[in-house]
Amino acid sequence: MMKKLKIYGIAFKNALATRLAYRVDFIISAFVMLLFELTIPFFTFMIYQNGAGFPGWSFNEVLLIQAGFLLCKGITFPFFAGIVWNTIEHIRNGTFDLLLIRPLNPLFMVMLTGIDIKDLGKLIGGIALFTIAVSSVPGSSAINWIFFAFLMICSILVFMSFAFLMAASGFKWVGNFRVYDIFESLTAFAMYPRSIFSKALQFLITAIIPLALMGFLPASVLLNRPPADIWISLLSCLIFLVFSIFFWYRMMKNYSSAGG
Amino acid sequence: MRLFKSIIKQFRVLKAVAFVTYKEWAAYRSHMMVSLIVGPVSFLVQYFIWQAVYSNQTQLNGFTLDQVLSYYALITLTHYLTMDFADWNLHMLIRTGQFITYMIRPMSHRYFAFSQKVGHRVLGFIYEFIPVYLMFFFVFNIKLIPANFFWCGLSIALGFLMTFFINYAIGIIGFWIIRGEGVRRMIMTIDRLFRGVLIPLVFFPDMIQKILFFLPFQFASYVPVRVFIGSYILGGMSFSIPEIVGIQAIAVVIMFFITKILWLLGARKFTGVGV
Repeated sequence: MMKKLKIYGIAFKNALATRLAYRVDFIISAFVMLLFELTIPFFTFMIYQNGAGFPGWSFNEVLLIQAGFLLCKGITFPFFAGIVWNTIEHIRNGTFDLLLIRPLNPLFMVMLTGIDIKDLGKLIGGIALFTIAVSSVPGSSAINWIFFAFLMICSILVFMSFAFLMAASGFKWVGNFRVYDIFESLTAFAMYPRSIFSKALQFLITAIIPLALMGFLPASVLLNRPPADIWISLLSCLIFLVFSIFFWYRMMKNYSSAGG
Repeated sequence: MRLFKSIIKQFRVLKAVAFVTYKEWAAYRSHMMVSLIVGPVSFLVQYFIWQAVYSNQTQLNGFTLDQVLSYYALITLTHYLTMDFADWNLHMLIRTGQFITYMIRPMSHRYFAFSQKVGHRVLGFIYEFIPVYLMFFFVFNIKLIPANFFWCGLSIALGFLMTFFINYAIGIIGFWIIRGEGVRRMIMTIDRLFRGVLIPLVFFPDMIQKILFFLPFQFASYVPVRVFIGSYILGGMSFSIPEIVGIQAIAVVIMFFITKILWLLGARKFTGVGV
């Protein structure tokens, strides 16, 4: 484990040095990532600014959902989710073999070479937004904060599961970067109060695809109103993660290059 | 007579490039068909958001629930008709130096890129627009019939041109900033916001609406959608449909010349092997 952490540290330094070769572009890219992610909170702000809103939810409460989501995304994307574009790119170029012959697990290898520093903008935005949102809602107990931290880890696991699934699709669906569009459209369900959706959708995003865990459920704990079915989502998260890893390895077997 | 021959020639060139682009992208039609998932899923989220928002009121900024849902459906469909990635393409050509091959061709790159867009969007019309339109019609019960077919068609055509000129102008920035991905994305994010994709522009504060009126972005999506609905208002300014389409046409002509000027300034900066 320590060895892997050390290797990850070296890979992170390399990725940072590579990106800093074009410093202005790096700063602008990170800023753009932040700007892009803030469009949904901005959208919510505009709704509330016009005197409307989601019944039973104040703007700051909705902002907390979106801030939690952005925080987890900000942790996942720069450090782990690079496996998506990296896998797809390697498969398209036929260079995935280079990762297979290295003396490390291919999934870890593709994660190492896919560290995307510019996505740190998401993390900065997530921290800033979360700080603002938390300071705008009533305080919560220490127990709730511990449970919240646990749910955030689960949320990161759901993000990673999506990354594994998207990356795995690249083995069959060569060169299709539009999997990101699918991801963005699906995760929109995670950024709003669950109660606005129909009962069937609420069940779907809680028990089948644990999207609610990516934003709504952690925030509901901090707001002292966790729903009773929260444990179903935790179970679903575990199944989703195991399935996504299994799917990645299963799909990897479909890989063929010039050498056959 | 000479002018007529020239137009025919230009049309033939456009047709040839568009056809080749169509064939090229048809190989990746499954990528394009991702829109069949993304479009309806994104709309479904909007559907529930606005259902919740309108649970306590019947009107918001002049929009009823049905109108705001139609707005989002139309924004989605207009995007399928007008989108392009001329910006990304030009940036890539400049960065890799491949642009040199276009400088020695007997046609302007702008016209070539525009012809490519025509081919790409014909494919988009078949694989994105028609299926998603039918989904909106039958699944979401959104009956999208334009208020006036002529003005709507004309406004979408102008939106098609405006989108191209905006994106192409963004692409030209690549002459000054070789690694300009960040700048490009920043402008694209602003573009997305200010053309009314995220939220109808009438939801912005009044002062910002007035500024947005004079920017090119609204003419790419917001105006065609409002023409489709049959009424136009922004920043307290209300225009009849022929009037706003006329203003849109003027804005397109201005953008045409802006891209031309930017091009003349930018192309001088290009460096590549042998240049």
